[in-house]
Amino acid sequence: MKISRRNFLKGSATTLFLAGFNFPVLANTTKKKNLVIIMLRGGMDGLCAVPIIGDKNFEKRRKDLILDETIKLNSDFALHPKLKNFYNLWQNNLGAIVHATNIPYTKRSHFDGQNLMETGGHIPYAIKTGWLGRGMKLGELKGDGLALSLPMPLLLRGIPSNDNFYPSKKRLPRTELLKLLKSIYAEKSEHDLANMMEIIANRSMMSSGGTSMSRKNSSLALKAGLELKKINGPRVAVFEVDGFDTHAAQGGVNGSHSDSLIEMDSIFKSLEKGLGNEIENTLVLTLTEFGRTIEQNGGRGTEHGYGSAIFMAGGLLKKSQVYTDWPGLRKKELFEGRDLNSTIDARSVYASAMSTVFDIDFNRIQKEVFWGDKLQNLSEKLFKV
Amino acid sequence: MKNFYRKVAFGLGPKDKVPSDPLEWATSQLNEIPEFSWKGKILPEKELRNYYRDYVYGDRKVLRKKFKNDKDGYKREKNKLRHVTGQKFWWNLELCIRHSEALKSETPVLAKLWYFWGNHFAISEKDFLAQYTTGAYQREVIRANMNQTFEKMVQEATVAWTMIHHLDNNDNVGPKSQEAQWAKEKGRKVGVNENHARELLELHTVSPDCGYTQEDVIQMAYVMSGWRPNWGKKRLETGDVHFNGEYHQPGTKRILGKKYKSGRKSLSAVITDLVNHPSCREFIAMKLCRYFITDNPTKEMMEPIIKAWEKSDGFLPDVHKAAVEVAFNYSEKYNKFQNPENWLLIMSKMSDVELIPTPKLMDLYTLGLKPTHEQRSLEYLLRELGHHPYLAKQPNGWSDVSDDWMSPELLIRRLVYAKEAYYKKNRKSQTNEFYEEMVEKNYDNPNEILKTINQQGDLSNRHVMLFNLPETLKS
Repeated sequence: MKISRRNFLKGSATTLFLAGFNFPVLANTTKKKNLVIIMLRGGMDGLCAVPIIGDKNFEKRRKDLILDETIKLNSDFALHPKLKNFYNLWQNNLGAIVHATNIPYTKRSHFDGQNLMETGGHIPYAIKTGWLGRGMKLGELKGDGLALSLPMPLLLRGIPSNDNFYPSKKRLPRTELLKLLKSIYAEKSEHDLANMMEIIANRSMMSSGGTSMSRKNSSLALKAGLELKKINGPRVAVFEVDGFDTHAAQGGVNGSHSDSLIEMDSIFKSLEKGLGNEIENTLVLTLTEFGRTIEQNGGRGTEHGYGSAIFMAGGLLKKSQVYTDWPGLRKKELFEGRDLNSTIDARSVYASAMSTVFDIDFNRIQKEVFWGDKLQNLSEKLFKV
Repeated sequence: MKNFYRKVAFGLGPKDKVPSDPLEWATSQLNEIPEFSWKGKILPEKELRNYYRDYVYGDRKVLRKKFKNDKDGYKREKNKLRHVTGQKFWWNLELCIRHSEALKSETPVLAKLWYFWGNHFAISEKDFLAQYTTGAYQREVIRANMNQTFEKMVQEATVAWTMIHHLDNNDNVGPKSQEAQWAKEKGRKVGVNENHARELLELHTVSPDCGYTQEDVIQMAYVMSGWRPNWGKKRLETGDVHFNGEYHQPGTKRILGKKYKSGRKSLSAVITDLVNHPSCREFIAMKLCRYFITDNPTKEMMEPIIKAWEKSDGFLPDVHKAAVEVAFNYSEKYNKFQNPENWLLIMSKMSDVELIPTPKLMDLYTLGLKPTHEQRSLEYLLRELGHHPYLAKQPNGWSDVSDDWMSPELLIRRLVYAKEAYYKKNRKSQTNEFYEEMVEKNYDNPNEILKTINQQGDLSNRHVMLFNLPETLKS
């Protein structure tokens, strides 16, 4: 089958976005809801993770990278066969995908692109805070962020007192020493330091005598899941997965792109395990700087592209579905004749997610987090509001 | 007042005499640029850049093709190539050179200012610059100009290979240039890349306070078009930076209301005007105060530095002396949160930690081999502390504001690596007497501090306490 935009308009399992009304979001303050963002650094190849089925243009341009034994999601799209945990979520209506989407950045530099995916802006390095941090500020979620990395990611900047967890390989000093330091900080009116030391002292009491924890994303995600589950725990968590920049030996099912996708998949699994029933009140979204070229290069890898996909998981999703306004893969349908186009501003998805999870009116987020940029309110379509 | 030694340097070590005139002690370190105190090998930037060349060429032009169907083979051979080109070693060697200036030299105040300028003209994490040339750039372009004018430093940093590559000026092509014409005929699209131009204005010289417009940024990019590495089939993007008129946008440019003729000389002319703009000296004065004194500098603090700048035409030794004097005058009133690297150096200096591997050990390294744990210790440690000076996340460098360093994990690292450091100390310095003398020498409230830390029975715990007290974290 040759997929084109017209075919999609005739309907299928895939929902099309049309400019819609912005439904007001009703506040639901009874439950604690969580938002998890997984940053996929290097440029996640949406067409490797969620390939289109039966598109000759695609198969021709990627002869050596086509995956065998993909998992069929619907009549149009399949899933990378290694994403077993995500597929498990999908089967339980806890997984969905937005395809042919990206932040509005088209220049293909990792560094500029990663900066913009975190700030949500248009000019690299012009904004010093992250869209998530600004959204949390709007939701008055001070102290509710948890980064699973050592430096605080730019994405969370904009609201103070976030926690981070990326275990040191060394043993913490005794709790008694930590408490003493805390009381000294408090005495000297060093309130920020005192707050931090309180968190550290609590952490030290919980850890089992200094056995060092793994820094693998799968372990970090289990820990994060357990924290998010707590009623007074964090409400926002941020992960990072590296290695998507596969210029060479991207390969098929066992290629290098798969390795990074498998790591992402392990986060879904551990989060689900840690969260238990609270997965129902959680939304997990991926974020990347750009997709990759349709055409494979001389090293059987791919170059920096534009449109990619967003993986979504959790019980706040409406249902399992691939949401897209598919632009097609014929030469003239590609961005600059080489990349999958982006027909949905990824920031619309993130703004809608924050609106749903933080119970903030979409228009306020649009105005105060994204400077009034033209974004669609997708909350009603994607999420349980 | 004694916090002044930690504020503008790294405190006083066990062998340091207490200066009779602290201000004179500090300012006298700022006239000359002495030889490096590191006694081991020091490689020129150009040689290190050749290793970078061998790595990118080998990876891009050889291995990617040879192993296109073999992911594991590709990984294995790429790892070999890393070691053949010293990828895990050079930045460790650079850190030895860097930290020796803080701990072993007669000019620790100059060292602390060197770190300031390295971070001002930051090379952030991009490609493999950190592993090969960032350290050398900071030696040859930044430190070497610290007894010159600010203008000279800007002129050289702007066309340094590492900076040009870092900020993508090799992609900056005048839309009406000869190259753009040729590209068009071949169906390729090339054009201006504003990245470097914007940072030259925003981060390196006048800052947004001067009120430049987006059009000024574009015009600046036109001026900069053509400044690029000399391209070669084998050296790829690692050739020396030169001005290539074929990439230069023709015609007159207009920046901040002033006209500049087309050509090679225009960049230097614009820089001369930028560094003489009042916003430039205000911006630098503010940043110096923010680095030494407080997150929120006042006009009164900045004033003497701006004056010194105006009087000396931005002669850096005079600007530095003024900044150090302001830091001295405000030392009673303000304590500045020390970033992790400076904190590590303060701890190492004051308590005599053998932080840096010996020149002998570093010179034992053979290309092609994986460096040993000891040879890699500094790079690992800084990464663990969350503050690797060659791996800033953005071109604006590491933050000088304390909020950005407040996170549980970052403070945990200070706790656990303070403990580690204690066990790296010479046995002779693991005594009560040593700590009493050190506290006496370095703090204005020695009795209170000793009373506090002596609540811990164990000396290693006293050490951890001391270097995590507010008086040490903020100096």
